[in-house]
Amino acid sequence: MFKLHYWVSSCAIPGQLELKFYSTMFISHSVSTDHKDLIHDVAFDHYGKRMATCSSDQFIKVWEMDSENVIDGGWKLSATWKAHSGSVWKVTWAHPEFGQVLASCSFDRTAAVWEEIVSEPNIYAQTGQKHWAKRTTLVDSRTSVMDIKFAPKSMGLLLATCSADGIIRIYEAPDVMNLAQWTLQQEVPCKYQASCISWNPSYTRERRCVKKAFTKIPNSDKKEADERSEFDGSEENPMKFPFHVDKGDKYIVIPEVPMLAVGSDENSSTANSSRVVILHYSSYVRRWHKLDSVPSVADPVHDITFAPRLGRSYDILAVATKDIKLFTICQLIGTTGSSRFEVTPFATLEDHNSTVWRVSWNSVGNVLASSGDDGCVRIWRLNKQTSWKCVGTIKGDGRRLILPEVINGGMALAKH
Amino acid sequence: MPITDFHGNTMDLHSTLFRSLLEMSSVRLEVLWSPVHRDKFITWGTEIFLYETFEKFDEKPKFDDIELSENSGARLLATNSNYHYVKCVDIYPLKGSEILMAIGQANGKVSLTSFGPSSFDRLGVNGMDLIPKHARQCNVVSWCHNDPQLIATGLDRYRSDHCILVWDIRSRTGPTTTAELGLSDMAHSLSWLQDHHKTLVVGMNNKMIKMVDLRDPSKAANSSQTKAVYGVTAAPYSNCMLASYVESQVAIWDIRAFEKPVLSLQQSKPITKVLWCPTRNNLLGSLQRDSKSIHLHYIQQMEELDHSVVERSIKPGVSGQITSFSWHPNDENRLLAITLSGSLTDTYVSERITLNWAQSANIVWTHGQRTLQSVSCTDSIYDLLGDISSVMKRRASRGYGLQVELESNAELVDDEDLKLIWNWLGATRKLSDEGAINSIPKHPGIRSILGIDKTTPISLTMKSELAFVPFSGISCNASAKIYRSEIRDMALKLCNWSFIHNPAQLLKTVETLESAGEITKAAAVAVFGLQLKTAIDLLSVTEHNTVSMALSGYNNDKDSVWRQACTASRLKLQDPYLRAIFAFLTADSDNYNLVLEEEDMAVTDRIAFALSFLSDSKMIEYLIQLTDQLTADGNLAGLILTGMCATSLPLLQQYLDNTGDVQSVATIAMRTFPTPLLECNRSQYWISSYRELLDMWRMWNHRAQFDIQHNSRTSTRPEQQIYVTCNFCGKTLSTNQFSRNKGPFQRAKVSCCPHCRKPQPRCAICLVNMGTPSQSDAVNPNSGTKVNPFNNWYTWCQSCRHGGHSEHISQWFEGHQECPVTGCTCRCLSLDAASGASV
Repeated sequence: MFKLHYWVSSCAIPGQLELKFYSTMFISHSVSTDHKDLIHDVAFDHYGKRMATCSSDQFIKVWEMDSENVIDGGWKLSATWKAHSGSVWKVTWAHPEFGQVLASCSFDRTAAVWEEIVSEPNIYAQTGQKHWAKRTTLVDSRTSVMDIKFAPKSMGLLLATCSADGIIRIYEAPDVMNLAQWTLQQEVPCKYQASCISWNPSYTRERRCVKKAFTKIPNSDKKEADERSEFDGSEENPMKFPFHVDKGDKYIVIPEVPMLAVGSDENSSTANSSRVVILHYSSYVRRWHKLDSVPSVADPVHDITFAPRLGRSYDILAVATKDIKLFTICQLIGTTGSSRFEVTPFATLEDHNSTVWRVSWNSVGNVLASSGDDGCVRIWRLNKQTSWKCVGTIKGDGRRLILPEVINGGMALAKH
Repeated sequence: MPITDFHGNTMDLHSTLFRSLLEMSSVRLEVLWSPVHRDKFITWGTEIFLYETFEKFDEKPKFDDIELSENSGARLLATNSNYHYVKCVDIYPLKGSEILMAIGQANGKVSLTSFGPSSFDRLGVNGMDLIPKHARQCNVVSWCHNDPQLIATGLDRYRSDHCILVWDIRSRTGPTTTAELGLSDMAHSLSWLQDHHKTLVVGMNNKMIKMVDLRDPSKAANSSQTKAVYGVTAAPYSNCMLASYVESQVAIWDIRAFEKPVLSLQQSKPITKVLWCPTRNNLLGSLQRDSKSIHLHYIQQMEELDHSVVERSIKPGVSGQITSFSWHPNDENRLLAITLSGSLTDTYVSERITLNWAQSANIVWTHGQRTLQSVSCTDSIYDLLGDISSVMKRRASRGYGLQVELESNAELVDDEDLKLIWNWLGATRKLSDEGAINSIPKHPGIRSILGIDKTTPISLTMKSELAFVPFSGISCNASAKIYRSEIRDMALKLCNWSFIHNPAQLLKTVETLESAGEITKAAAVAVFGLQLKTAIDLLSVTEHNTVSMALSGYNNDKDSVWRQACTASRLKLQDPYLRAIFAFLTADSDNYNLVLEEEDMAVTDRIAFALSFLSDSKMIEYLIQLTDQLTADGNLAGLILTGMCATSLPLLQQYLDNTGDVQSVATIAMRTFPTPLLECNRSQYWISSYRELLDMWRMWNHRAQFDIQHNSRTSTRPEQQIYVTCNFCGKTLSTNQFSRNKGPFQRAKVSCCPHCRKPQPRCAICLVNMGTPSQSDAVNPNSGTKVNPFNNWYTWCQSCRHGGHSEHISQWFEGHQECPVTGCTCRCLSLDAASGASV
């Protein structure tokens, strides 16, 4: 795969270290989709084995990973259908425990839920033919529906949409077996036209596989139990309080509250408040509320993504605007027992030097991929607790990878 | 935009002035790609230049070539300076032909010309002039792409003459007009409609856009009153979209609803040009006066004539004001811009790249409009990106974290910290199993051994003996203060440093280290063991022989030259262990801070040093401070201090926050935490996160193995998932009950319900009642399998509830999609999404 290595540039910035980059030729796998117009979104299912693409040609295509297939990067087209009567902006997969379910949203002001079904047996087709059937059309929006996302599975079968008039809608399928029935749980109006939405994926209700952990502590381990309570908050009473209680003003490690972040690409200069809104779910009143402390982003936001948390002690939110902004979100409990969220700027990643279109996390949430108007895909990694570094830049045509020498250069040279 | 007509013949003062104005405006540089050549374009101002582009990648640029972009250059092929008042140019659009230009001039003449001799000479086309009856400025000239022998010209107003002339250049009688339109009107712009044969759209008289079908030119097929009459252009993709402009407004038209524009886009400055991108659906580029950027308008279209627009602007590389631009006819989103000063830039309008990172370690992004690019974990390049999840997946597939012996897990990782900690965990497990250390948690840390975390004052629990031990092997009578006690020895065992007080063992350790290549560490161990001679011998045969020389000069005189020299040059040593040796030997009265702060020294070595040479209070202070530091850094070696108890939670959390390595943290917790700690929320959060990850990787078997080990260490048993009851009496068929009733040795016959004696359902394949073995491979009763093997178990379709022996059923579905029961059309196999996706 590697063809040649050569030093691309070495530039000395006055007063700074000499920066060296070197680039390697490589060929990424290319898939020609046969879409008739621009592709707006690529979505993977839970396992990353299936892919859905949607485009301005109003079609959705579904692809299967077939690792024996060497052409098209192993992706094989399995279904294609005209889904909407306008550009299809986004497409999203539900967790496989709800079946093979997709949702899409479009410029035609609707969102739709699709399910892959096995067709009725007929004499022509011996093998079970699969096709995608429309289960419902969500028509509440009066403007273009800009983004749609399924909630983490532990919340049930929930969908969030946001539309160009700035209304966030949360739908629920009360009966997961019946995908035709969706109730509009809540509408949250926001100031500006919305462009993107993201659930916090870390919220999970199925965390404790050991249920009665606290009732069975033997007396002999009392000391251990005391030590433990220091970190767990033994006064925890889920009925009274939706969060953990911790001593002092510490943050809570374990995610407890469902969250939803919405970005806006409002461009007008008169709009002066933040283009990011975070909603959190209050289980007392069963409503979504806007978080008071929001990340302040004054430029149009094109994409927003929570990082998968997987054991980390805080959440990270990536915002794609004229650069990439990262925020940490953690929940603090004051000494009085009141809880609040603290949103802190984490990093600003500026290497694109242009509008950033999309951001996406790896499955653990410590490496970020972004795409920008400079025609490059950049990979960012958390380096030394707090600083983020660009560890790779891939040209959009997938023919060149540029690595900063300081981190990976020596390694890569040694390796190949 | 001309102000008045211009006649070349008579000129007064006023018109001279006007002419000079015109001259100025005619210098405005224009650029146009050839519609039929991939690599040719023309520019014109006062002269017309023909250029050819080339890729820098293919050929080296020559001296006089001009640079268009990072990757492309252009070289001048030809110049034409015969025409002075060029108003507009269009290039003959027939595929495969050479460049033939139609040049509309200020006096209304349209000249056809090519650069140099060409095939057009023979046809008599080259040098042909199309002259209107009355001279006035030609505003626009356009070849018909569908019928390339037609050329339409649009002229200024002239009383009693037509403003639009459509010429047929190939008619036998020389150039003739096939159609004349717009008597005493004025044409500002015109465009041929793409799919409508011989239909022209014309912007006229500052007040209307007219659509004329040439087959019936007498009346307008459609028209609309508007001031946006300039730059009328038809969209190449859609056959009903048009664009035009006036002042600072761009108007988008749909010919199916021609009464008014479907979109009016107000811009900040007056527009000078609008052009549809020929390679992209509904992308319009516009240029504003005195602007350094090109504005792009992405028109969104719905079937019911609903439109919206997304706007963007791009700055081609040059810094000057752009006077014109041209889209490449074939290359996706490529455009060429020219500035006031004549510099050219070739740019690609990058499409919005959408991207996604799949859980299966696969980054996919769009390149251009319709192509996807992907990099997956099977590519060697992927590892350079540092995605820990692919590393974890690889480790998981080798059974990392689940090895019976804790230290075997160390062999499955490359990371030194992880190796260290698994080996340490394995060693402490052995020590506590052997009873060498007695502590309730199986993996105590140094702190809990020393009792630092206990509430009782440390001075009560620990009293160390102080001994002055002389250095051996050298002449001088120096000695070092060494502290010993029972718990210190136990703690040293945890660091694997118990050899320090035993010269024989020490020598053995030094030899082991030496053969492992860790010479300097071996030397440091020897020095800390006060075997100076050993260290000197060791170093003398290596590249560190100068160090060995320096060492041999050791004396304990506080003010000796040796000491001063060593203190000074110590910092120049590269190796942390060599630095530590001199820091130790030159230390003033038990002040070993320089050794203890040597951060490149392994944590265990530093701890062991503190355990041997620091007084009780100093040692405690140091260990507490070290724990805090390692916890803050998330350094796993800190676990040696904390042990596997509650104090290790923040350390593991910090490590996890730093690295994302939830796998190691979850498995370490699962394997080594005492049960109450394992059941605390945070450990459970880590463990469930790791289980989620395993499920996501479809490594369900690994997850199940993880669960088995996990549940064996927790205080609760997992609940039974499935109860089988008899169809007839509704009582449970649980086999546990049989064995209880009938004794453990006699295997119950379970082909019928033990309560009501009704038979169990039959296997759909072999038609034998369930509970009997599947007969395809007769199980040898002496084979030693105790439980009835999986092959004999029930399995059934969740949808149609037909089933049988799992072996029979799986054999059946190897070749079938449908249920084996007659008359049942359930497609059991294809309902299993997981199996389908895994095929």
